[in-house]
This record gives sequence, structure tokens and C-alpha cells, in this order.
Amino acid sequence: MAFRKKFTPKRKFCRFCADKNLPLDYKRADILRDYITERGKIIARRITGTCAKHQRSLTTEIKRARQMALLFYTTVHSTDVKKKTV
Amino acid sequence: MLNNYETLLLLSPELAEENRKEILTNLTGIIERDGGKITLVDDWGIKILAYPVRKLTRGHYVRLEYLAPGALVAELERNVRITDGIFKFVTVRLADAVAAAPAPAAEEA
Repeated sequence: MAFRKKFTPKRKFCRFCADKNLPLDYKRADILRDYITERGKIIARRITGTCAKHQRSLTTEIKRARQMALLFYTTVHSTDVKKKTV
Repeated sequence: MLNNYETLLLLSPELAEENRKEILTNLTGIIERDGGKITLVDDWGIKILAYPVRKLTRGHYVRLEYLAPGALVAELERNVRITDGIFKFVTVRLADAVAAAPAPAAEEA
């Protein structure tokens, strides 16, 4: 079992701390999409490695994006599922 | 005391070009009238929404950036709610220029 001891998973880090220029903004749904599951749930920071400070603002921004229909709340009512109009 | 705000509006995709212009001039007029200052009008155009809003899956996004006293936001949002053709809106106070805007006024006084 020696090999098992040597195994260390890749260290997680906060992307917003590492790159100060990475905007944390409700308008950038493309970036926020990395932090939600395919069902639209916000991913816990123990999984993504985001720091506490940025996770707090990340949550707010995701919720703002949902409000403005930039992200969906759940897949059940998303545009992909519902019939397209206009 | 001016703050830097931005308002993102979600307009109906069925609005005609001139109706949309009319809504925007009306809103910018309100901002200018109550001592605000428009800094940017950012038109995103028609985008596909993440979920249907009023049974429509497309919407026209327009983003306004402006310097304004806090009381103006309430007045603006009241007018936004009255206006037909605006589906959704969100107003956010921008952190960046908040310090920059009131500073010159303080020096004068």
C-alpha cells in the first residue's frame, strides 16, 4: 500500500485570487457557469476550491444572473427544455 | 453625493426600434433631470434567455451606467416598473468609481 500514501490530489486554488483580472460579475455568465452544476445548483467551495471571500460574492453574482435570465434556476424550466418562441 | 450605478434592463424582443429608443430616452431623461449623469449606454442586442420570460425565449438587453444620488435609483425603478415592454431589471452599485466621483466635489467645498 505504499503507492497509496504517495498519491496527492491536485491542489485546488481560488481562480479569482490567482487571477485578479478575472471578473466576478453577474454579466459574465460564461465564467459563472463553471461554478454551477448542469442542473444549475451552485457548487460548494470545498469542491471548487474558491476562497470564502470570493465564494460569497460568487453566490450573489450567480443569483443576480438568474434574476436577469442569464442563468437558469433549474433545468426544468430552462429554454433548452421549454419550447422556443420568437 | 454621487454614486456609480448600473442598471441592466431586459426589454421585450417584440418592441419596435423606435419604441425601444423612446423608452431609453425617457429613462435617460429621468436620470439627467434628477441630477444624474449617464456615462454609458451599452446595447447587447437580442439574446436567447436562460429560461422563458413571459413565454418568450429571447430578450433585448440594454445596460445603463450612470452617476447618480441614491434617491434617483428609487425614482428610476418606479418608472421602469410602470413602463410597458420592460420585463426585468437589476440595479447594481459599482464599487470602482464610487471614490472617484465624490472626491472632486469635496475639494471644492
